[in-house]
Amino acid sequence: MEVGLLMLLGGIAAGAFGSILGLGGGLLIVPLLTLAFGLPLREAVAVSLVCVIVTSSASAGVYLQRKQANLRLGMVLELFTAAGAIVGGAIAFLIDERLLAALFAALLVYVAATMLGGLRRRATNEPATDDETPPHAHAAGEGVERDDRAYLTGRMPVAALGSVGAGIASALLGIGGGLIKVPLMHLVLGVPLRIATATSNLMIGITASASAIVYLVRGGIDAYVAGPTAIGVFVGATLGSRLGHRIGQRELRIAFVLVLLYTAVEMARRALALG
Amino acid sequence: MRDLRMDHGAADLEPALARVLQAGTYISITLVAVGTLLLLGGGTSPLAGGPALHVGELLGDIAAGRPEGFLWLGILGICATPALRVLGALVGFWRRGERDMVAVAVLILAVVGAGVVTGLLAG
Repeated sequence: MEVGLLMLLGGIAAGAFGSILGLGGGLLIVPLLTLAFGLPLREAVAVSLVCVIVTSSASAGVYLQRKQANLRLGMVLELFTAAGAIVGGAIAFLIDERLLAALFAALLVYVAATMLGGLRRRATNEPATDDETPPHAHAAGEGVERDDRAYLTGRMPVAALGSVGAGIASALLGIGGGLIKVPLMHLVLGVPLRIATATSNLMIGITASASAIVYLVRGGIDAYVAGPTAIGVFVGATLGSRLGHRIGQRELRIAFVLVLLYTAVEMARRALALG
Repeated sequence: MRDLRMDHGAADLEPALARVLQAGTYISITLVAVGTLLLLGGGTSPLAGGPALHVGELLGDIAAGRPEGFLWLGILGICATPALRVLGALVGFWRRGERDMVAVAVLILAVVGAGVVTGLLAG
């Protein structure tokens, strides 16, 4: 009972943090389950994917209703992220968990560095990086962004290739992959940033779903762990999206960077010590 | 492929897909919540190692009030919800006569299906 409640609370914290900081829960659930509850990394990734789908589906519904997500572009690109996710899901069962831990540590350091850069630029309302959280907080007072510029569709092959990479990263690390998709759409295709963020969110569902199905079919998902964690993340993300604007973003981001760096060190130690 | 910019004139499809996503999420998460309550209420540790998925036993488990039935049905619902959204988009684009987007939707569903086959072959 105690472990279950702790898992629930951990999920709430991960969901709330992810929602407030626009990071999504996936980045936090894997370290939570591996470092705090001692789960094998692959199992934690599988549970994280289930949580990512929950928050993504809930928020993508809102984005679609508000016409902030580009359905056509999202569907074209998610064809490639889903293909990448299937490849990633297959690779995940072939590679050593130490390598997965090392990749995750590198991801955490990258996100921490990105957040530090954002703090330096004093851009506290910069776009989400891996955001699959409910959009109530971001969307207050925002209308539909105009989308009357021509997309750079000549660069679609680059975006497609990058989307395959995002899918692989999602399946290997249990994240949504928005870290890759948003810059791809914005910088490569010239999609307005807010639309890119919302569209990425829409794509995360099918990407994580394609990965999760591979884990599911191979018996990689533990329903007993997924239950309390998913409920916690869902509740936390909902709370975070409603309370986020009342919390000092700068202090929270600094604290979070420290948490990310500490977690990265622990993951790196795990990469070196396992086996 | 037609212009990929947002089509604000198409007012019907996006809200319908939004409803699919929201209904799928809330129904699935409710099932998972019931399973979690039964699990924790029964004093079982989540770290005890959950039972494997046996699709044929799901309804029996639910009828018997076993947490794994609710948990697995909810997890299956969560995993299926984005694919249902793609299926809904397929129908919507078909009705609008957007054959290129219908092809994209069919391909996405084929890729997801390939994931199931890949997992079964490798597992």
